[in-house]
Amino acid sequence: MLVLGITGMLEVFYYIPTPENAALSVQTISYLVPFGGLIRNLHFWSAQLLLVVTAVHLVRVVFTGSYAPPRRFNYILGLILFVLAILLDFTGYILRWDQGIQWALVVGTNLIRTIPFIGETLYTLLIGGTQPGAATLIRFYAWHLFGLTLAALILMGWHAFRVRRDGGIALPPPSLRTDHERIHRFELVRREVLAMVFTGAALILLSTFIPAPIAAPIKEISASVSDASAPWFFLWVQQMLKWGDPFLWGVAVPLIILTLLALIPYIFPKPAQPELGCWFPKSNRLAQVALGAIVLWVIILTLLALLPKT
Amino acid sequence: MKRAFLLLGSLVLFLSLAIAWWMVAQAPKPVSLTPTLTGQPEYCLTCHAELPEISPSHPVKTFGCVICHGGERLALDKNLAHSTMRGGKNPSDLAVVEQSCGGEKCHNGSAAEMRDHIQRVQTSIQSTYAGAIANVRYTFGAQSDLTAREGTYAVADDHITTTTGLPSLDAFAPTKDKNPAILAFAKNCLDCHINATPRDGLAFNRFTGCAACHTPGPLAMDATVPNQKKNLPGVHKLTTAIPYYQCNTCHNRGNYDLRTMSFVERTDQPTDRLHAYYQPIAQFTRCEYTLDCVDCHTRTEAMGDGDIHSNKMEIQYIQCKTCHGTPTQLPLTKTLTDPNDIAFRQAFLNPAVNLKVGDTVLVTEKGEPLWNTRALPDGTYQMLGKVTKQVFPFKLVMGSSCTQTGEDQSSAYCHKCHSVER
Repeated sequence: MLVLGITGMLEVFYYIPTPENAALSVQTISYLVPFGGLIRNLHFWSAQLLLVVTAVHLVRVVFTGSYAPPRRFNYILGLILFVLAILLDFTGYILRWDQGIQWALVVGTNLIRTIPFIGETLYTLLIGGTQPGAATLIRFYAWHLFGLTLAALILMGWHAFRVRRDGGIALPPPSLRTDHERIHRFELVRREVLAMVFTGAALILLSTFIPAPIAAPIKEISASVSDASAPWFFLWVQQMLKWGDPFLWGVAVPLIILTLLALIPYIFPKPAQPELGCWFPKSNRLAQVALGAIVLWVIILTLLALLPKT
Repeated sequence: MKRAFLLLGSLVLFLSLAIAWWMVAQAPKPVSLTPTLTGQPEYCLTCHAELPEISPSHPVKTFGCVICHGGERLALDKNLAHSTMRGGKNPSDLAVVEQSCGGEKCHNGSAAEMRDHIQRVQTSIQSTYAGAIANVRYTFGAQSDLTAREGTYAVADDHITTTTGLPSLDAFAPTKDKNPAILAFAKNCLDCHINATPRDGLAFNRFTGCAACHTPGPLAMDATVPNQKKNLPGVHKLTTAIPYYQCNTCHNRGNYDLRTMSFVERTDQPTDRLHAYYQPIAQFTRCEYTLDCVDCHTRTEAMGDGDIHSNKMEIQYIQCKTCHGTPTQLPLTKTLTDPNDIAFRQAFLNPAVNLKVGDTVLVTEKGEPLWNTRALPDGTYQMLGKVTKQVFPFKLVMGSSCTQTGEDQSSAYCHKCHSVER
């Protein structure tokens, strides 16, 4: 997050949020600003990594039953943060405003229109017109820099605070524990620093050798099926869209999945106290199976979308 | 132990930073150019500094690269920078020529000022191939006369200036005729109009569009490898001094076999100019192989007069008599008095000759100045080779022993006596 914040702030110096200049300013950052390419790549890769790490974190929390009361509320906070991270990633992706994002921009925003009753109003609100244009870009810019970031920052603080409030990370109550050792706070900091250092090194190497995607500026906004390409974290939705009704597959199913995720701590049997914090406790098998199915579903669809078109 | 991990981590972080720094330092230093016409910086020269200027009329400091070629002017990644280039290596392909070379201030200006090159080329017989198509369709019963109806692409002309000008042509649609000969013609014989992809081989070394003629020998080729053409570096040059061998990338390359409706390439590979110029069966005289085609044939003949014509006869009109006159007539001449005369612009583009106000040049029957010719005050005539820069004095028919009658003065008649025996 720190890396994202700093590199993001640096990018703001050169980025111009207008349709004519956005892609050109991204090119300027990537090729002409000293270390600009490296900074943009760092911003890109840390954002992608954040999504992966957040998803893995979610999976761990469910698979170890760590969401059990009193941590149910914090689970919801975390889930909201996950959604915010996805939205931040998507808005950042749109800010490139080049030919690589056209399809996702047009199709993604058109999905909003398919929502019954409020779709059109919501679309106009988000897009700022009847079709994506200058108003859309400046709105996405504001959401990316301000709205979503601020919400994410506040919720992140709250999320971390709730960990303390809920009694640290999930463990069985002291009476049921056999291992009473706790790691020293210096050791905790040491481990965290170690993780930061290695992640930082990995990010720098990734950013040095694999540049973030970039394409030629948009000439005319359109979405032809031939270049259908959602960002990787929405590929599974793109795959489902091929099956028909855009509202059902593009809006309803993802929302149902999200609701299901949110309901995990509420509808499934509670994990047993002694098993808290352990991998795959028997007591919440059902939740594990549900999440496992969702994860498998998303991964398979993503792989299907990645398959070369025949 | 734990300390060692931290140390190792720091070392890895430091190393990766060093690698990142080194990679950034390795990247080429961006070279910026802000051409005066666009006022927008472009960085093409970072990689393309070696390219020679395309022509004195298109100085890179004025034009830059992007105004003609397109492309991403700020990108330093090869794929991205080249992704939006117009026409690949050749922005003058007719599909994109309007964006690349066109516009009122460039080569699609007013007809009155003779700046409508693109409009003229797009309606010209060399691009539409209308004559060949009309002839073949007529011969095989697809149309009732020789007036052109179809071209290699659909084209219209709303301003007809000649008696033979046509309002429009449809796109040639051979499948509609269902005639095997016409289908074979469409398949085998459409390699030689201006925008056709050239046939394979050294003999067909040309681009399409404007560059088909104005970029002589566009692909640098290794003569040791036979029949190569593709994927070779292009030549960065535009010129009006078009050598005969560039015309020969379409003309004089062989014959059409009407039985099989296929093109038979000439098999001789002459190296001397006499034999290289025309293909073996052709009848021609000395000046036709010592001069270059463009020394006599005018811009109107080559690029068209803006009208859509049915065949070559309607547009090609330069004959022997244009320069040599007839037994009873001197060639037409004109003394240049207007400094804005088109002749000066043409001479400026090819500074082979120092043309001055007061000079007397030959003109064609349509009034086009042959700016590389002179009627000298002493009564003699000379021509300067636009490509060779050689001076060729020439004589008139009047006063010679020629006994040809006045009505039979076309080149075909002259060749009866004055052809070169090979």
